[in-house]
Amino acid sequence: MLGKLLKNELKHSGRYVATIYAVTAAVIAFMAIGILTKITWIGVLCSVLLNFVAIGVLLITLISVVKNFYDTLYGAQGYLSFTLPVKCSSLLLSKVLISFFWIILSYLIAGLCVVMVGLNAKAQAGEQISGLFDMLDVSGLREMIPSGATITEVIVLLVVFVLLHILTLVGFIYFSVTIANTRPLQAHPLLFGLLTFLGSYGVGYAISGKLTYSLPLSIYVSTEKIGLVFEKMGADSEEYLFAFGIGGTVFIALMALGLLFLTGWIMEHKVNIK
Amino acid sequence: MENIITVENLKKSYGRHVVLDGVSFSAEHGQIIGLLGPNGCGKTTLIKILTGLIKDQTGVVRINNEEPGAYTKSVIAYLPEKTYLPGWMRPIDAINYFADFYKDFDKEKAMQMISRFGLDAKQRTKTMSKGQQEKLRLALVLCRNAELYILDEPLGGVDPAARAKILELIMENHAENATVLISTHLISDVEYIFDRVLMIKEGHVIVDSHVNALRENGKTVEEVFKEVFSYAW
Repeated sequence: MLGKLLKNELKHSGRYVATIYAVTAAVIAFMAIGILTKITWIGVLCSVLLNFVAIGVLLITLISVVKNFYDTLYGAQGYLSFTLPVKCSSLLLSKVLISFFWIILSYLIAGLCVVMVGLNAKAQAGEQISGLFDMLDVSGLREMIPSGATITEVIVLLVVFVLLHILTLVGFIYFSVTIANTRPLQAHPLLFGLLTFLGSYGVGYAISGKLTYSLPLSIYVSTEKIGLVFEKMGADSEEYLFAFGIGGTVFIALMALGLLFLTGWIMEHKVNIK
Repeated sequence: MENIITVENLKKSYGRHVVLDGVSFSAEHGQIIGLLGPNGCGKTTLIKILTGLIKDQTGVVRINNEEPGAYTKSVIAYLPEKTYLPGWMRPIDAINYFADFYKDFDKEKAMQMISRFGLDAKQRTKTMSKGQQEKLRLALVLCRNAELYILDEPLGGVDPAARAKILELIMENHAENATVLISTHLISDVEYIFDRVLMIKEGHVIVDSHVNALRENGKTVEEVFKEVFSYAW
């Protein structure tokens, strides 16, 4: 059943974001034409547009994640969703996975927009940009750049962190929307949803920030490799370039996971469809 | 015969407001039951509990001897009073959706039924009239070979001429040996199809009787209803 839930969830939620993705594709295609034909005004216009589009993709995706979750569970469509012969946990999991997918896609598309703006800038002023790389050699900074393998590991680690934070965001959003649709709060779901989100997200990240600096659990990066070290963030060492704390990220990811379990429990036991 | 519905001492409150106060009844397979009562008497709450939409009640609720959950939802075909299909959905999308999730859904029959209803399979529900939407929802429910059909005000949005047709459809299309629970306030239109009626007043079942037993006194179900709920008329 999870496969069917995922298929239908993708189909349903895709409607919310289809337009902005179509606009993005059109602007990128237009910009590519500008770069290839070397028509300057097209590139400039599209660069400006892509900045707005990148922000738009992120915002609209986020709004659509909230709206789709609310509409399909706690709006009138809840009668359809909650009477399907599936467990609430499956319903929730399908929504988490698809929202996760859309948010990642929005990050990638926003990233692509930035790359396209960069490519356009390079096409317009290529020499100046390659000159920046020459400066690294002159100043000796290039020796401090970690090896290719280390950079790859750092990138993988960053991707994992970004994914964890997306999962966290989804967890906080779903929890807030669900809490706001329990009987005592459902008269003003938007207000209570927003308050719960800001409150839980604010508290969660405040604790996370504190733990990032105070817990002796960090990942270090040297020119040769990266690894786990039981030291506080920023501790001096000659063995590595820097170390960043991960205690906060671990905490916030666990908190989001806990909130998702709580969301599933509320969906199963306490939700009242209007 | 084993009961399809067993409800014992069911209680449900919204804050201090008691909606169901010790409701008990059971239903056998193959019955058509009218669930009757004035607005706010707890009919919809009872239906929501049976269909698993409300879980924070106390008492015993069993469908085919199981508590409401994924299994019971697979044997219940539920027609809510509300329009629950998203506006972008077309009849063909709704049919595919039901076919995906309900093993007992007869897709071919559904296509025939929407054609019989004169519905366009590719028209979005948001552009349909209320009556057309109601027909679509009814078709989706009746094309399941369910064990229990729960229909909440199935005649609410249709004109009097169409009511008889809809009742005929319900009679023709519900699965053999299935139980049909119909909540309605349009008693005179529907009462001839009932085998049994449950009347709820202030959270209590005050009449639970076979229709023939009521008629032995020379009264129609509507007349009994008016007597019981005289304050509401």
